[in-house]
Amino acid sequence: MDIHKILIAVDGSKNAERAIEYVADITRGAGDFVIKLLSIEHLPDRDFFADDPAWKDACVKAREKLLGFLADGRDLLINSGIPEKQVHTDYVESCHSPLAEAPDYCSRGTSIALDILHVAKTERFKTVVIGRRGISKAEEFMFGSVSNRIIHAGSDCTIWVVQ
Amino acid sequence: MTDTVKQILDRLYPEGYMGRSGKVYTDTGDFMRITGGDVIVLAGEHYLVLRDEVERSFGVEDPKYWVKRCRHLESGERRILKLVFYETFSLSMGEMKIPCYRSPRKEARILDRVRNDPRFMQGFSAEDSAGNNVRVLYVVQGKRLDHWIDDLKVDHPTYFETHLPGILEKFIVSCQAINDLHRMGEKHGDIRRDHLWVTYDTGDYVWIDFDYTFNFHENPFGLDIFGLGGLLLYLVGKGFYSHEEIGRIPGSSEHVPDIGPDDFLLVFKNRLANLQKIFPYIPDPLNQVLMHFASGTRVYYETLDEFINDLTTCLKQMG
Repeated sequence: MDIHKILIAVDGSKNAERAIEYVADITRGAGDFVIKLLSIEHLPDRDFFADDPAWKDACVKAREKLLGFLADGRDLLINSGIPEKQVHTDYVESCHSPLAEAPDYCSRGTSIALDILHVAKTERFKTVVIGRRGISKAEEFMFGSVSNRIIHAGSDCTIWVVQ
Repeated sequence: MTDTVKQILDRLYPEGYMGRSGKVYTDTGDFMRITGGDVIVLAGEHYLVLRDEVERSFGVEDPKYWVKRCRHLESGERRILKLVFYETFSLSMGEMKIPCYRSPRKEARILDRVRNDPRFMQGFSAEDSAGNNVRVLYVVQGKRLDHWIDDLKVDHPTYFETHLPGILEKFIVSCQAINDLHRMGEKHGDIRRDHLWVTYDTGDYVWIDFDYTFNFHENPFGLDIFGLGGLLLYLVGKGFYSHEEIGRIPGSSEHVPDIGPDDFLLVFKNRLANLQKIFPYIPDPLNQVLMHFASGTRVYYETLDEFINDLTTCLKQMG
């Protein structure tokens, strides 16, 4: 694994924005980092929609939003001085997406945290960065926490949790 | 030309109904207009509407206009028809607000998946003439489990010794039913006291109402697991215990139990989870299962497998 390979997992939130800004600040002037912005597709629940066309429409919008976020994040890193060829983006599609076209790897939707760690392991990232918003104990019980799960399940890499 | 209600009743149910003769509906979209005495035609069969379903709490009746108590005229049997009602709302769990959605197609799918499984209510779905997904449910012949337990007029020590082992045995079967749903990638979505019923004939427990859904991506079954924990607490305690109720337990004025915030449920902070503090004969392993749902816990159940294994061990020790 390469210590200079950083994977930033983002979900389009303010916390993810902070994580990107943090990495931009900390790597500023150190030109040999390779950074990947990773987004795991999290589809709107199909059962939340009256029919499949409405659901597909929401999936398209969610995808556009995340792809836009990835592009903005990439610009931010490049503008902070990281060479363009060293900044990459990756969007892992959901296996259940109505828009997917047989990707090599897709997210089964059971754990975003494990999907992130899968990419880190496969592509030999030494550092994984994630933002967190801070949730109560009750919320963690009920909703789960991506960052906590990454901390507990991650191995062979350093985890930066940006709050 | 479509038959009138009177013609349908004369043909299918000639001496069975003396009430109002309303209209015949093949499109159930405007469910507020459909009322007692109307007939809904669905997949070629006829359902005489008797009344709207009501939910009763604190002595107040809350009508559910999209749920119709019916008579299936071809068989003469009772049925419940759930009409399409898309609703997004916030479920209050203590201080948390959880966005939830009422999904006809989720319930229809689960009805298909649990067909002939006696641990779940039975029924099927059919589209009306406008394409609305109507769920036709067989009425569970029984009563709510919590009401069944309330009707046991015994003190807690007697209940604990005599009734609880049998109740837990059946409850574990119900937990396994939910676990099986989870393995299919489905969730119940609304596990609470009034959604688990005891049948009159076998005494077995049956889950009802699967139409709620919510979207927790990192812990999709967390709400179900918490619901089962709350239900277990009710079963073990023969009710819930708030600060006030603890004070009313016989003997509690002489021996005030040392109870702190960590002893109450993580989400509903007025319900005592550490029941051993008021019922000291509750064995440690069972109390520890309850404490997984308490404010003081550091360990949660992430899957129902762990919960069921722990409960099964507790039951063996109680026997």
